[in-house]
Amino acid sequence: MQSEQAIVASNLTKVYRSRWTGREVRAIDGVSLAVPRGAAYGLLGPNGAGKTTFVKCLLSAVHPTAGAAYVFGRNTADPAARQPIGYLPENHRFPTYFTGEGLLDFYAALSGLPAAERKRRIPRLLDLVGLEQWGRVRIGKYSKGMLQRLGLAQALIHSPQLLVLDEPTDGVDPVGRRHIRDILRQLESQGVTIFINSHLLAEVELFCDEVAILRKGKLVLTGAVRELVAGKGYRLTASGVTERLYDELRARAAAAASRDGYVDFQFTTRQQVNAAVDALRAEDCEIEAIVPTASTLEEVFVQAVEGASEERPEAARA
Amino acid sequence: MMITTAALIRDTFREAFARKIFWGLFALSTLMILFFLFILKIDVVEGAIATVTLFGRPAGPRGGVDVDRLVRNVYGGIATFLYTWGMALSVFASAGLIPSVLEPGRIELLLSKPVSRLHILLGRFLGNVAVVACNVAYLVLGIWTIFGVKTGVWGPQFLWAIATTVFIFAVLLTVVVLVGVVFESAALATMVTIALGLVSPILAQTTTMVRLLSSELARDVWRALYHALPKVYDLGRLTLDLVRREPAGDLTPVFSSALFGAAALSLALYIFSRRDF
Repeated sequence: MQSEQAIVASNLTKVYRSRWTGREVRAIDGVSLAVPRGAAYGLLGPNGAGKTTFVKCLLSAVHPTAGAAYVFGRNTADPAARQPIGYLPENHRFPTYFTGEGLLDFYAALSGLPAAERKRRIPRLLDLVGLEQWGRVRIGKYSKGMLQRLGLAQALIHSPQLLVLDEPTDGVDPVGRRHIRDILRQLESQGVTIFINSHLLAEVELFCDEVAILRKGKLVLTGAVRELVAGKGYRLTASGVTERLYDELRARAAAAASRDGYVDFQFTTRQQVNAAVDALRAEDCEIEAIVPTASTLEEVFVQAVEGASEERPEAARA
Repeated sequence: MMITTAALIRDTFREAFARKIFWGLFALSTLMILFFLFILKIDVVEGAIATVTLFGRPAGPRGGVDVDRLVRNVYGGIATFLYTWGMALSVFASAGLIPSVLEPGRIELLLSKPVSRLHILLGRFLGNVAVVACNVAYLVLGIWTIFGVKTGVWGPQFLWAIATTVFIFAVLLTVVVLVGVVFESAALATMVTIALGLVSPILAQTTTMVRLLSSELARDVWRALYHALPKVYDLGRLTLDLVRREPAGDLTPVFSSALFGAAALSLALYIFSRRDF
């Protein structure tokens, strides 16, 4: 629990093989990323990009084909590594025979909380998510938004240090969304790391400090949201970049990512990108592309995703 | 460890009772208990049955029948009924409890907790055995008490029916777990398990079949199947012997069935630990 990184994915790869045809699908392909402790981090990507597989690898619901995932320095294959994780899955299916209180009690017990502690925490959590009047009602009677809030309470019941949320505001009305965002802000201020997998770019832009964008299982961009959306800028792609130069340019860039021998830098000004080109050419690096980037996260997302598919078909095939 | 195991067992109880079929099992047991409590009247005079009345009318043996013998026979009948129909109903009722845990949206949440997969599946298995054990114990103890009070004969040998029925249920449940983990189908799990129960009395005729089969290979296959599969029929015979206070025969079927159960459960655990969800 002393690690500075809440999550570290190291060359994480998951290949699904059809049992009958032997056909392979690379759901995630060599993804390496680090989520600092205490950050609010968003994982973005189009449908089928591998976001859910990545999250499932983090939770050991899916076994990686290669690479490993670590939470606070411990390999997630070890059940004890999941102790500090609170997880809210997308499309969760809570057993309807539970009441709200019963469900929280069950999942708290699975996290090892003693009965007295569970009894103390359950009313507080129900109150936090605005379900204090619904604790003794069977969850079959809950609306989708209420189930989502109960799911959040479930994820928080054992005071986790890392919250992994898959579409946390799915089905929640705007007021409820704001409420959830406020809860998450409060948790973030308490040092809890929040990792969100979401399609709602505006939501992520509002809440997250950093994002990673996946496309077809590969990481195409990582960076600080504030810098990515600071204004129009440029994404520079190069190859043959030495580690020293990569670190040097990364320090000047708003965001940077490296994959398959290519590196991407996101610069906010033309001067910065020109300086980077000069530095790269001085060391005989190849400039693969310079693409203007836009100012909203949605535009950054679209450019990153479409750019990745248009620019390097050979890389995508690799 | 204890907190999580208890939580998994409690959850299985909750789910079992949320499924109306388990209430059906308890209702059936209660009906049987009430039948013996109110409908069957036995008058005992000096250690022998004077009259047995059913629905208020004389039935069964009259005068001079040994109480102990009658009670032993009734125990045997009930144990056989429980062992066959009770078992089939229990397997049917339990078959959905494993695939339900593996449903998308539910299993991910379970796996995200700091609990090993082995622990999750074993907790579910134990919970399921505990539910059926409660039902069997309720029925057997209920009938045993009624017969004890009505006849004055307290034959503790009848209580063996709890142990043997729960034991063979646990062995068959390992098949339910294995099929459930591999195919996530309650219907298939029921079919395979019931088929094992049905094939058992046929396989148990080893001596006759070995004589009848012409090829040595066929004889070997027959013997191998008999020894490998759970011996539901043999254990049923053993139960009958125990509850009737007759000398119990060979105990090998107990050990070989336990070995089968351990192997099936180990395989299920291995597959479950390797699967992606």
